[in-house]
Amino acid sequence: MGRDPALAATLLVLWALLALFVVYPLGALLVKVFAGAGGRPSLEHVTAIFGEAPQRRAFYNSLLLAGLVGVAGTGLGFVFAFAAVRANLPRAWSRLLDAATILPLISPPFTTAIAMIFSFGPRGLITYHLLGLRDVSAYGLGPTLLAETLTYFPIAYLTLKGILAGIDPNVEDMAFSLGATRRRVFRTVTLPLTIPGLANAFLLLFAASLADFATPLILAGNGFPVLPTQAYLQITGLFDFTGGAVLSFALLLPAFAVYLLQRAWVARRVYVTVTGKAGPATTIKSLAPWARWPLLAACLGVSALILYFYALLVYASLVRAFGADATPTLAHYANVFTSGRQAIADTLIIAAVGTPLGALYGVVVGWLLARVPFTGRWLLETVSMINYALPGTIVGIAYLLAFNDPPLALAGGATLIVAAYVFRYSPTGIRATVALLHQIDPSIEEASRGLGAGSVTTFRRVTLPLVLPAFVAGLTVVFIRSMTAISATIFLISVSWTLITVRILENMTELSLGAAAAFSVLVVAIVFAALGMVALVLRRVRAPGTALASVLGG
Amino acid sequence: MATAGIRLEGVTKRFRDAARGEVTAVREVTLTVEPGQFLTLLGPSGCGKSTTLRMIAGFEAPSAGRIWIGDTDVTDRLASQRDIGFVFQSYALFPHLSVFENVVYGLRVRRWPEAEIARAAGEVLALVGLAGYERRVPSQLSGGEQQRVALARAIVIRPKVLLFDEPLSNLDATLRVRMRGEIRELQQRLAITTVYVTHDQEEAMAIADRIAVMERGDLVQLGTAEDLYGRPATPFVAEFVGRLNRVPARVCGREAGALVVDVHGQRLRAEGAVLEGAVMLAVRPETIDLLPAASQHDSAVVASRVFLGEKVEYVVRWHELSLLVIAWDPIRRGTHVPGDRVDVRLPERGARILGPA
Repeated sequence: MGRDPALAATLLVLWALLALFVVYPLGALLVKVFAGAGGRPSLEHVTAIFGEAPQRRAFYNSLLLAGLVGVAGTGLGFVFAFAAVRANLPRAWSRLLDAATILPLISPPFTTAIAMIFSFGPRGLITYHLLGLRDVSAYGLGPTLLAETLTYFPIAYLTLKGILAGIDPNVEDMAFSLGATRRRVFRTVTLPLTIPGLANAFLLLFAASLADFATPLILAGNGFPVLPTQAYLQITGLFDFTGGAVLSFALLLPAFAVYLLQRAWVARRVYVTVTGKAGPATTIKSLAPWARWPLLAACLGVSALILYFYALLVYASLVRAFGADATPTLAHYANVFTSGRQAIADTLIIAAVGTPLGALYGVVVGWLLARVPFTGRWLLETVSMINYALPGTIVGIAYLLAFNDPPLALAGGATLIVAAYVFRYSPTGIRATVALLHQIDPSIEEASRGLGAGSVTTFRRVTLPLVLPAFVAGLTVVFIRSMTAISATIFLISVSWTLITVRILENMTELSLGAAAAFSVLVVAIVFAALGMVALVLRRVRAPGTALASVLGG
Repeated sequence: MATAGIRLEGVTKRFRDAARGEVTAVREVTLTVEPGQFLTLLGPSGCGKSTTLRMIAGFEAPSAGRIWIGDTDVTDRLASQRDIGFVFQSYALFPHLSVFENVVYGLRVRRWPEAEIARAAGEVLALVGLAGYERRVPSQLSGGEQQRVALARAIVIRPKVLLFDEPLSNLDATLRVRMRGEIRELQQRLAITTVYVTHDQEEAMAIADRIAVMERGDLVQLGTAEDLYGRPATPFVAEFVGRLNRVPARVCGREAGALVVDVHGQRLRAEGAVLEGAVMLAVRPETIDLLPAASQHDSAVVASRVFLGEKVEYVVRWHELSLLVIAWDPIRRGTHVPGDRVDVRLPERGARILGPA
């Protein structure tokens, strides 16, 4: 491929960008953490920070919370997936489950946390108004765990639904015909076949919770410090960049371990059971009739809770002061569109720039990885995944450290925010492209070359149309995350460039709950509108393989 | 092992379909399989044969009717309580278990002692020709090997009846023919009552004692291969089992229980429905003879010819008909080439009357 100058130029540009926005910031972070006095390698900062008991506790708390969220979210996701795939649900029921699980996926990660305050806070609808409780705390491990579980279990649901639906029903029927009871079939067939999925879901949720910054910031409170919030407070409160770097670095170790486990262990253990004609859906199933109702009741209960939270959010945005004055008003929305105007405009501009760039980057890198043999392919794949695998707090602090001073003083500008989104959220598009290209016969592209087209023409005229669904997937994810993400970019905002999500957090801390609610509703509405458009486009290009759910699951 | 007969009485399966509303997949099927007998359910896809089999197995519940295995009414029993062995088209091997653990799954459910389990597994794997494969996992096996494991797993529990759902459809042609011989031999040796679903009429004829032909949920004929081929009960059976020519004819009399019909001056004795006037005949292609043309008038023209070694298939134009004709042993008997003029000689007996023309 060395003879193709366009390809060489593309690779050069990609490596330059990856070096600048992935390798260099991570290097800057590591230097900050491990450079002692006089520039010598040293552990003095690490020992200093973790010599403090609260910081050590933050580390344990983070692991504890992530582990609990992993277990609870995987369990809940399994219950939902089992109900969706194995309970012969009427269509309306499965729609309800899908609706309830898609809401948390497309909302800013702290939406549930805000609704929890509305519901269980000091002036909460349930705690204060219904139960008349006065001295309750909506803060700490329990509430954080509940909010994060509700926020992230849809990821487990989507993962496990795919796994359960992929089990050939004949395999379970076979076990029945050999005399096994329902319980035994579940224990010896269904569960073992689902274990790789369960492990994968656990790791995904563990990583998501570990990286979650906004939920603990709202709900964890002083009594339950976790690493991302400690790192944030260290930097924004104490201006201790080194301390923040060390705290975020402590996140890196478990995050990296999870990533390695996922790649090395889980990916190799997915069973494909359908070899021939998959059996028809049978009426006599792995679920006993008596077990159906409690299962459905559990799903309905959780779905109702989620829908209740979102209804509460809408309600809070439409009354003068939630919990005190229930007079209907549009003042919060008026406020959002006046004083919040800059945040809305900035967010949309950044999304409008970052989304097509991110999608294009995803397709180009995915195509290179899947189709073009070149030296350093493995390295490119690994480096392009780094920012995706890292918790946002690390990425944000690394960017801040790397780009705060000349010659690359990009901090506070829109470029850096766009770069953060592109390199952090495009790997979904890369993976979608690689997966799609593996299903498309390379001879189609070879035919184009055989007709005399160069690699650029081939890519533009043949490959790009073929990978359109992956391109749309990349667009979708980068756009949604541009609207909803906060953990990395909260370190990158400035007076001239700010984001809706940051404004929501500010409103929460200023106790402008109505404005926070109105902003949240606005974000969810924008994302829903965008998803509706994407669904229309996907129907047009007839790409049923790229279900929205599979896009969001990654 | 006590094998048992199977009896279906008025078995019906209706289900709701989002697109088509209420669909009757199987309509009042009544049939008996004698102990030790091999029955195939034959029909095109969607005829209800698999659904019938799955109701015998207990994977589906009939909407009406009763099912007996031996003297036991099993209609309301779960699959796990029916004592059946089932073999799927997709093999349905447990992908996370070794060949050995797949085979002994049913024995562990039955709480056999470990020594007995090992002995039975060794025996059955030897029986299906997979001795030494115990430690492999399904993904390491070829399609034929996977199907043998599925077979071993089904028979090792010594079921009362064996049920097969298109077990050979995923295998290539040569292996399919060999495996069907092996299944038949095994069934004869074990003398297990067997019901076998297939859409392949040749497979059905090769393997079964009796064949039940299904069409759109109805059982339309139950008989031996000779019955179905020689005396099809309906035009559907006549066309589905073997190949045939539809030839218009005129009834011109009766003779010894059969009708005498006239086809362009040839008089034939035909069986089937008793009708008058214009009728439609079914004439099997191998019963038609082609002779060198004696005269120009009434001769036919060979339109095409396919040489297949042991036989030649011709399409012959004769009085606005395109007749399929099969001639055996072409090397010794000589062949015609397209354009040849030939005389068509319909069989004097053996044609069937399908119905009015």
